[in-house]
Amino acid sequence: MLTIVKGLSLSTFLISALLIVLMVFVLIKNSKSPVNLSFALVCLSAAIWLFSYSQAYNSSYTEEILFWFKVGYPGVVFIAITYLHFANVILKIKSTRKIIIFSYIVGFFMAYLIWTSNFIVNGLNEFKWGFYPKAGKLHPYFLMIFLGLVNAASAQIGYTYFLKRKEFASLTLQQLKYILLAFGIFTLASIDFIPNYGINILPLGFIPVTIFLSIICYSIIKYRLMDISLAITRTGIFLVVYSFVLGIPFAIAFGCREFLFILFNDNWWIIPLVSSTILATGGPYIYLYIQKQAENNLLKEQRQYQSTLRQASLGMGRIKDLKKLLQLIVHIVARAVRIEHCEIYLLHEASNQYVLKASKGRLKVDQVSVLPIDSILVKEMIKIKEPFVYDEINQRSHDYQDKNLSEIEQIMKNLDGALLVPSFIEERLIAIIVLGKKKSGKLYSHDDLAVFSILANQSALAIENAQFYEDMKKTHEQLFRAEKMATIGTMADGLSHQINNRLHAMGFIAGDALDTIRIKKKEALPEDIKIVFEDIEHSLDRIQDNVKRGGEIVEGLLKYTRKGEEGFSPVDLDKLFDASFEMAQFKIKVNEIDVVKNFNETTPQIYGNFTQLQEVLFNIIDNSYDAMVQRKNDLKEPNYRGRLEVNATKKGRKIEIVIKDNGMGVKEEDLNKLFAPFFTTKLSSKKGTGLGLYVIRQIIEENHGGKVEFLSKLGIGSETHLTLPIVTEGDDTKILS
Amino acid sequence: MPKLLIVDDESDIREFAKRFFLKRNIEVFTASGGIEALDIIEKENPDLVLLDVNMEQTSGVEVLKKLRERKNDVKVIMVTGVEDESVINEVNSWGVRGYIHKPLVLEELEKIVLAELVKK
Repeated sequence: MLTIVKGLSLSTFLISALLIVLMVFVLIKNSKSPVNLSFALVCLSAAIWLFSYSQAYNSSYTEEILFWFKVGYPGVVFIAITYLHFANVILKIKSTRKIIIFSYIVGFFMAYLIWTSNFIVNGLNEFKWGFYPKAGKLHPYFLMIFLGLVNAASAQIGYTYFLKRKEFASLTLQQLKYILLAFGIFTLASIDFIPNYGINILPLGFIPVTIFLSIICYSIIKYRLMDISLAITRTGIFLVVYSFVLGIPFAIAFGCREFLFILFNDNWWIIPLVSSTILATGGPYIYLYIQKQAENNLLKEQRQYQSTLRQASLGMGRIKDLKKLLQLIVHIVARAVRIEHCEIYLLHEASNQYVLKASKGRLKVDQVSVLPIDSILVKEMIKIKEPFVYDEINQRSHDYQDKNLSEIEQIMKNLDGALLVPSFIEERLIAIIVLGKKKSGKLYSHDDLAVFSILANQSALAIENAQFYEDMKKTHEQLFRAEKMATIGTMADGLSHQINNRLHAMGFIAGDALDTIRIKKKEALPEDIKIVFEDIEHSLDRIQDNVKRGGEIVEGLLKYTRKGEEGFSPVDLDKLFDASFEMAQFKIKVNEIDVVKNFNETTPQIYGNFTQLQEVLFNIIDNSYDAMVQRKNDLKEPNYRGRLEVNATKKGRKIEIVIKDNGMGVKEEDLNKLFAPFFTTKLSSKKGTGLGLYVIRQIIEENHGGKVEFLSKLGIGSETHLTLPIVTEGDDTKILS
Repeated sequence: MPKLLIVDDESDIREFAKRFFLKRNIEVFTASGGIEALDIIEKENPDLVLLDVNMEQTSGVEVLKKLRERKNDVKVIMVTGVEDESVINEVNSWGVRGYIHKPLVLEELEKIVLAELVKK
């Protein structure tokens, strides 16, 4: 006899402890959420019931037994009330608020009746296995109310689950399924009411409660019910396994007692004892086995992903071409799970936004092409550092009425993203991977999130790697170019003297020969010799002409390559522009174009070499004019009129001068070549030596420590941005002294 | 007959400039370096010197400097390869008729030289 009561006591105690653990878990995760709070109340009520009963079973004094039963009985009442409360909260039914409050009042009234009268609990029933509370006069009514509340709650959930599916997110529906199942099984604990009426049935209600616990734990893991993390997977399995390991001997003891009694007489208890010993010994093995099986089942998808992941990470590291890498990532993600579409948005630091770089499964036209870095979605993602699940965001934005969340929800909706996975390197969010819905219609599980997070972070490394490689390649090319330029620079000095001397000599030789011919021509000569002389004269003339042009090229190359602040002084932009424009005026017909000067006396003075800067501005104006003429001739627009606009803005200790024209512009493929010497886009090579922009860069960047940038669009026009130092106090004193 | 001295370390320059100016009834002397040039100036006292700045041994600037130190105020035209402000400044202070820029076609050189010789 003693064994059964002790067994009941132990089991109920164990389950009540587990309920408290679950309650604490749920509260720790989010004590403010009404869902978590009401669920915690369910756990607390059941725990009070089972704990008090375990104390009652453990006692030998009838008064003490009755006391504990009376303490625990209100717990039973409140299970029904809190369940109804929980059901209304999770279903977001607000109209029943008053009913819930009324139910709680009824509950307290019943508790009062239980403690102060015999209407509900009237003494004890004595069974062979021990004592149990006896139903009082009003107990049938109490029972009716109890079952009424429980069934109302289950009916509400069932009604929603089966008939109002469309109004709820699929995640919530999955949760409801498990809640319904769990509480349905919980209701089976009602068999514990039967012994109240003196019918000899063991109160095994704790067994359905155990199953209830397991189901809730499972759904917490699988469907993030009440936002509890994966952390309790193993705890959950442990609890389930040990409830069974310990439960089976008790089940044998209780269920087969009569049968065993016939077989073994007074020694019947040996069988449950032996079985419990065996099971307890085997427990750890069984636990491990079941854990493995359970994890295999639970984490089946994750295991599959892991192999995909391993392959992916191997492949990703090897790819140095960024574009190919991004395509591969998108491909891997789409293959790991069959999804409707997948995109990757990569951080573009210069423009402060995430730009769509690769996509799979959807037409480019209906995709959002950029995500600004200051959008709420990006900000929150950087803060939280976790994947965003649309269903969850959707649910929470309704739960909490949060403005930020609903904004994020809207962005995700526009992206058609069911899941957004951030790609971090330390604190830097370098990419966002957007995943569409699964083709199967299933939800993203916790395993999915874990796997995609790993994949995203590995991608981040691979992306950074590829970016670094590309940058390095670019830097290499730039260095190589710079080196080439530097070599040209140093060589130019020595070389130009040599070339100049050769040209000079050539000019003299040709000149002298020409001279001789011209003298000879004056004499009377046969006609055929005269013709030969004329030919030679022409050829020599051409040589002289080429000598002159060669000299100009060398001069252009050398003239402005000298460094140092020699001849530096404060320069008025207004004077500088006028002087440069004057230089160009022999060519430009002033009334043919409009000139707009957006600067005045307050524009700060430039600190630089007037002659060199004049050369720069002259070259730019000259180029612009040529471009305007070219546009006029090429496009033949009826109302075209050239326009040159000069703007100046102070930027810290520098001034930015922008010279804008509406000329022909330059082809994109030619833009990079513009600053290399000897490159000219001017059709007639007579017009330019191809040194203009090269000289401009030399003067601005090398001599003045400034910056020159040339932007152009074919058929629209060009902009030259010059950044130059302005006069500071130090420069002034230098000039004055 | 006016006397012209051409100082250049390029033999082609000397040869063809000489031939050219000889045809214009000008007595032409040539020197391939600074020291030789100074000698000829002492001996022949030319009306005009075309003095190359950039020569391998004694530079044109040094020749000019030495001439002026010896109180020789012969007319000098500097022939420069590259317009260098510092050279021009120095040359100016030593008193020159001007400077010409390589490469220069003979016709233009002729104008400059004849103009200088006429001023005599």
